[in-house]
Amino acid sequence: MKGTALLEKLCTAFGPTSCEYEVAKIIAEELEGKYDEEYTDFIGDRIFRIKGKTDKKMMLSAHMDEVGLMISDIDDNGYLYFQPVGGFDVKVLCGRKLFIGDFGKEKISGLIASKAIHQQSYEERKKATPIDKMFIDIGAKDKADAEASVQIGDYAVFDSDFIRFGDGYIKSKAIDDRLGCSVLCDIVNYIYENKITPEYDLYFCFTVREEVGRTGALITANRIKPDLALVLESTAIADIAGTPEHKRAAKTGDGPCVSLMDLGTVYESALVNFALGLGKKHGIKCQPKKYVAGGTDAGKIHKAAGGVRTINMACPTRYIHSASCVIKESDYYEMFKLALQIALTSPDDVPER
Amino acid sequence: MINELKKLMKIQGVSSREDKVAAYIEEAVKPYVDEIKRDPLGNLICLKKGTSKKAKKIMLCAHMDEIGFMVNCIQDNGIVRVSRVGGINYIAYSNSRVVFENGAVGVLVPEGKTELKDYNGDKFYVDLGVKTKAEAERRVKLGEMCSVESGIVKLYGTKYAGRPFDDRIGCYVMIEIAKKLGKCKNDVYFVFSVQEEVGCRGSHAASYNVLPDIGIAFDVTPSGDVVNPSTNFSVKLGDGAAIKIKDSSVMCDRALVAAMFEAAKANNIKHQTEVLTYGGTDTSSMQTVAGGSRAGCISIPTRFCHTQNEIVDMKDVEACIDLGVLCCSFDL
Repeated sequence: MKGTALLEKLCTAFGPTSCEYEVAKIIAEELEGKYDEEYTDFIGDRIFRIKGKTDKKMMLSAHMDEVGLMISDIDDNGYLYFQPVGGFDVKVLCGRKLFIGDFGKEKISGLIASKAIHQQSYEERKKATPIDKMFIDIGAKDKADAEASVQIGDYAVFDSDFIRFGDGYIKSKAIDDRLGCSVLCDIVNYIYENKITPEYDLYFCFTVREEVGRTGALITANRIKPDLALVLESTAIADIAGTPEHKRAAKTGDGPCVSLMDLGTVYESALVNFALGLGKKHGIKCQPKKYVAGGTDAGKIHKAAGGVRTINMACPTRYIHSASCVIKESDYYEMFKLALQIALTSPDDVPER
Repeated sequence: MINELKKLMKIQGVSSREDKVAAYIEEAVKPYVDEIKRDPLGNLICLKKGTSKKAKKIMLCAHMDEIGFMVNCIQDNGIVRVSRVGGINYIAYSNSRVVFENGAVGVLVPEGKTELKDYNGDKFYVDLGVKTKAEAERRVKLGEMCSVESGIVKLYGTKYAGRPFDDRIGCYVMIEIAKKLGKCKNDVYFVFSVQEEVGCRGSHAASYNVLPDIGIAFDVTPSGDVVNPSTNFSVKLGDGAAIKIKDSSVMCDRALVAAMFEAAKANNIKHQTEVLTYGGTDTSSMQTVAGGSRAGCISIPTRFCHTQNEIVDMKDVEACIDLGVLCCSFDL
């Protein structure tokens, strides 16, 4: 499977933080037999190595986890209470359909409910419902009925279809960061199908736990000790109505973003120019990500193992961390092309710091 | 002596753009150390080898970077929007001259209707005195960094005002330690770190590369002898080197702190105790990276940190240098 078809499969998988098994399984099946070495560490990071002509190591990384919820309590009526796992805008939760479960368990449906508007006080109507006043309705008869299929500690993720709409747009949950995973798989497939021996020794890293703590990327970078890292992400961009020009980070349809700075990393300007320059040279659309917000696995990777030179590339994504993340399909393929160019580059062509 | 400090203060080095500062320091310490290297993040790591076969590794660390801004948008009317790099006090920096990496100059101002309580990065812009986007783009580029005009002036006695004392004064202290050290039994690593202002990122990598037994940071600390301080600090300008017990990022090693007090007392070096309720320094990364180390910090008392006019007393600076030299011989 390839491109946005693979993206669809990955996006619809169930994989909140620290429960990335289903995603890992899809990736492992997809890459079977196309690498030289494979390694799974104790917290679930998956590393696939394709040997290069030189001993210089490049870490290409994307995280498998998505934002989710964790069931923290079940009340006498069989309603579930929950905690966020990862950063949420509370306003995107109300009324959403969910899948609830855990690794190896059958998923059940539920939806996030809260007090109906005619029962809310005047003060409550003015504000977004806080997370501790929301609950999940799974249609259970009572507590015992609910506990037959859900345990405290189970996860919930959005139940949201992957659809194509409008002028080449895609809407789905978990674009952050199944998109990065999908692009990495596409690169492995391309190298395999074209029987390429890359210049760099390539480590394709599918990390866990980015949305909470970025532990997976830290451990992986310390294990590999790469000479160069490329982090593939999806990023919030705000190219939407009501946002002033200087607060718009990037634009859908203009290709992948190369980040200048975010809250976790100041990217090396020589490498930013290198990545944008490769795009220009090969006629691949790309753009700098301008507005400074958020952070990625790069924040851990660049500080790890005595310092790692790091590039962050991200697909511009609207409404990130919601049930309906929106990307432009063409950006996906431009991102694949640019990431491939970087993956196949020679260490001699990367500027010195 | 003060002329060297003046030069060091004039060189720009916003977080991640410390190369010019590093080049200057490299020249200054070269005669006094045995090995010099830069690591992948740009930390300048200089080793002076010890005379003992059982030498401990002592890492001294001061950061080369200063707070500043990065260009993140050039608008049609030539207005330049910038993001903060490090902890910026917009009230202190409002209506200041800023200098870009390439020498271009602008003025950092708030949008007209902004009330003082709403001061934040989104409300500020740099006026380059241009009319169009094209004119602005001839002067500055997206991603380029700038900082508020630097330099120092002499106040009363041995006191000086200016920026960025945070943390060129720490770099200066370490350069002077390198000059004064002479023969020492321990391996002393003089580490001039990058990207401290954005979260002690450089020292994180540097500590991994050095793996010290003892780590000592040299950085500024707020001085409590101001009118109506926001919190109570005991640290005062002119009362000597401040030996850090804690800040919000670290609890310093007790044995190292005790040894510092003992050395200061035995050698009549003016010193005081620092207990800081906020802030963070490279001390924290030295303490926790890899297997960890005994970590502490000798602070230079500084009034009005992160403003255009940070004030230090050169007598305190000398005390820090003298105490720093003694710390290089510690065996803990």
